[in-house]
Amino acid sequence: MPWLVGTALVHSLAVTEKRGSFKNWTVLLAISAFSLSLLGTFLVRSGVLTSVHAFATDPRRGIFILLFLGTVIGSSLALFAWRAPRVGLGGRFGLLSRESLLLTNNVLLVVACASVLLGTLYPLLVDALGAGKLLVGPPYFDAVFVPLMLPAAFLIGVAPFARWKHASVGELARTLRWAFLAAALVGISTPFVYGQWKPLVALSLLLAAWIVLSALLNFLERVQSTRAGQSFSAAALRQPRSFFGMHLAHIGIAVFIVGVTMVGAYQAEKDVRMEVGDTVSVGNYTFRFNGVRPQQGPNYRALLGDIDLIKDGRVLRKMFPEKRFYVASAMPMTEAAIDSGLLGDVYVSLGEPIDKARPDAAWAVRVYHKPFVDWIWGGCVLMAFGGLLAISDRRYRIKARAGSPASSAAASLVQNA
Amino acid sequence: MKRLLLIVLLAMAGTGWHSLHAGEARPLAADEATEQRLIAIASELRCLVCQNESLSGSNAELANDLRREIRGLIRDGRSDAEIMEFMVSRYGDFVRYRPPLKGSTLLLWFGPGLLFVTGLTSLVIYLRRRDRAIRNTPLTAAEQQRAEALLQDRDSGQRPS
Amino acid sequence: MNRFLWPLIGFIVLVVLLAVGLNLNPRDVPSPLVGKPAPNFSLSQLAAPEKKFSPQDMLGKVWLLNVWASWCVSCRQEHPVLVELAKKGTVPLVGLNYKEVRGDGGIDLDKVAPGSEQSMVIARASTWLRTHGNPYTLSVLDIDGRVGINYGVYGVPETYVIDKAGIIRMKHTGPISPDVFSGKILPLLAELSR
Repeated sequence: MPWLVGTALVHSLAVTEKRGSFKNWTVLLAISAFSLSLLGTFLVRSGVLTSVHAFATDPRRGIFILLFLGTVIGSSLALFAWRAPRVGLGGRFGLLSRESLLLTNNVLLVVACASVLLGTLYPLLVDALGAGKLLVGPPYFDAVFVPLMLPAAFLIGVAPFARWKHASVGELARTLRWAFLAAALVGISTPFVYGQWKPLVALSLLLAAWIVLSALLNFLERVQSTRAGQSFSAAALRQPRSFFGMHLAHIGIAVFIVGVTMVGAYQAEKDVRMEVGDTVSVGNYTFRFNGVRPQQGPNYRALLGDIDLIKDGRVLRKMFPEKRFYVASAMPMTEAAIDSGLLGDVYVSLGEPIDKARPDAAWAVRVYHKPFVDWIWGGCVLMAFGGLLAISDRRYRIKARAGSPASSAAASLVQNA
Repeated sequence: MKRLLLIVLLAMAGTGWHSLHAGEARPLAADEATEQRLIAIASELRCLVCQNESLSGSNAELANDLRREIRGLIRDGRSDAEIMEFMVSRYGDFVRYRPPLKGSTLLLWFGPGLLFVTGLTSLVIYLRRRDRAIRNTPLTAAEQQRAEALLQDRDSGQRPS
Repeated sequence: MNRFLWPLIGFIVLVVLLAVGLNLNPRDVPSPLVGKPAPNFSLSQLAAPEKKFSPQDMLGKVWLLNVWASWCVSCRQEHPVLVELAKKGTVPLVGLNYKEVRGDGGIDLDKVAPGSEQSMVIARASTWLRTHGNPYTLSVLDIDGRVGINYGVYGVPETYVIDKAGIIRMKHTGPISPDVFSGKILPLLAELSR
């Protein structure tokens, strides 16, 4: 939730800084982002909700955090209610313009955040009203969050092309139609490569391709229009860092979408019994079981599985899942063997020996293929880098700002508002 | 000659024996069809011990017991609806992993959609009202003067940022 | 009214909700069996395994069914309350010994010889009751936990209050604290015994 509101804040700040509009929105989003992190602290420590993330059930601690939360957020919102009416409206802009698209983006993000909040607090609401008990989990959030984020993903491609103050639908459509068609082609055809064609997969891949293609297109257009006789690369490097940061972060989102979609739709697992020499196939990989041998660790005894990872008939590598028996604990721990790749991961984990008395014979083994799962992390890393690039942009460094007379005049205008 | 033939035959039998013995691994579950149905049903049920996990994913004791019960019910020929009824009559609606759609969950399921529509509609209304408000607010004399001063400043110096 | 006050108002509502929530227990699952007849079963008794017990035997009496096991740590917490109840002699207390061997995390079921599980259960349960005191009129053995499933048991200890007609009137999950005992259970027992 803080992340969603924080993203809205980042975009709102861009407008406030460039156009002087949305000041109230920006302040409210800033207050909300921090408030949501405080709320998260409360939720996991007070025992108010059941969750894998809740690690303390201490109503007394909960009261303290609630009081803290109430004071900090209550006073911020009271201050906001008192001073916000005095802030000016800012400049005009049309119903379709970069400002309004950014504002739409903010609304979508806030609605998504509110939906997550609704699902999170609903069990509490129902219980408090005495209407029974229920828990809201992944099926709800998946069903609700994805449809809300799809329009936002679409906007990512459109907004950088929209002009400030006034944009025209016709112009946008003309600039973007080929990118959209190309994205549609990629989106619709790729699921066939992986197996079953699913409409949601095609739509998500379309949007991911759309984001990437429109980012590239925007980059090319911008460089071309500011070239003024220089070489392409010289003009490219002259673009401000925030411009690269924006596109890198957006591409990170596309990468993230690809990761989530492909893993969700095409991951496969098999639970099999394997004798020495048996093979099992998942995805394009084949696994051959070569038995289990004992191994001594520093504070544990382990049974090490020996598995060949085979693709296209060649042994790529060996994988060694473990079953560890720590000296200090009665429960055995399972260590999966993971092979990570750009296009997907495979995991192997040992279950139990089929005959407990004979760990040298057949074993229950579970194998997984998760395509593109590391793209989920990769997407987030790209988003982070994009953010860093944007922050390091020259215009955020105060010394550079203090120099220009236009900015000092603007500062005095804001002061007297 | 015969000995050589015998050796060759044995060698062939040896490799053939190896490929007969090391085959495709068999699925762990005794009955694939039952297992698939079990996973489908258990994915819609909650594990009551680790309350945020589904019954199909949980490794808790009770989860194993419940899966065993359900396997038995599947083999008895019960339908999915009957099995769900079995679980709900003992553990309540809480055991459904997906919150059911009924009176108390209407707000939960329709809330986001409602928020979406309200959000976008309010946005459009707000933008229109704002535009009108700005258009109808002329500059005061003092503000007019300040605007002129700023513009002169700009014309004499560098480009605005 | 100043429209910028709405966020603050919304926040105050949220805080009230959270404060109420602090007094609730989210892990408590209400039982759909309250108000319904106690599910029937026929299980061996701990003291005399050749004899069986079923809820039908208790028709006409108000009684308590307490789910326990020797490996259950929380059961030790509520045990003094149960012993006191037994001393008062208000109502019969029947123990449902739940998965005595299977539920113990330290025992590997595959190492237990097939015929000997019941004798293991009896030995362990009897020893425990001898050591800590036996508040039960009698105990029955739910060796594989299937009767527990019919009663919607998802943790140990759990206690059911059953009336003269065999209807479950209350289910308490978790150990019975003295407050719950005097505040909820005793009054209910008094009401049902009238």
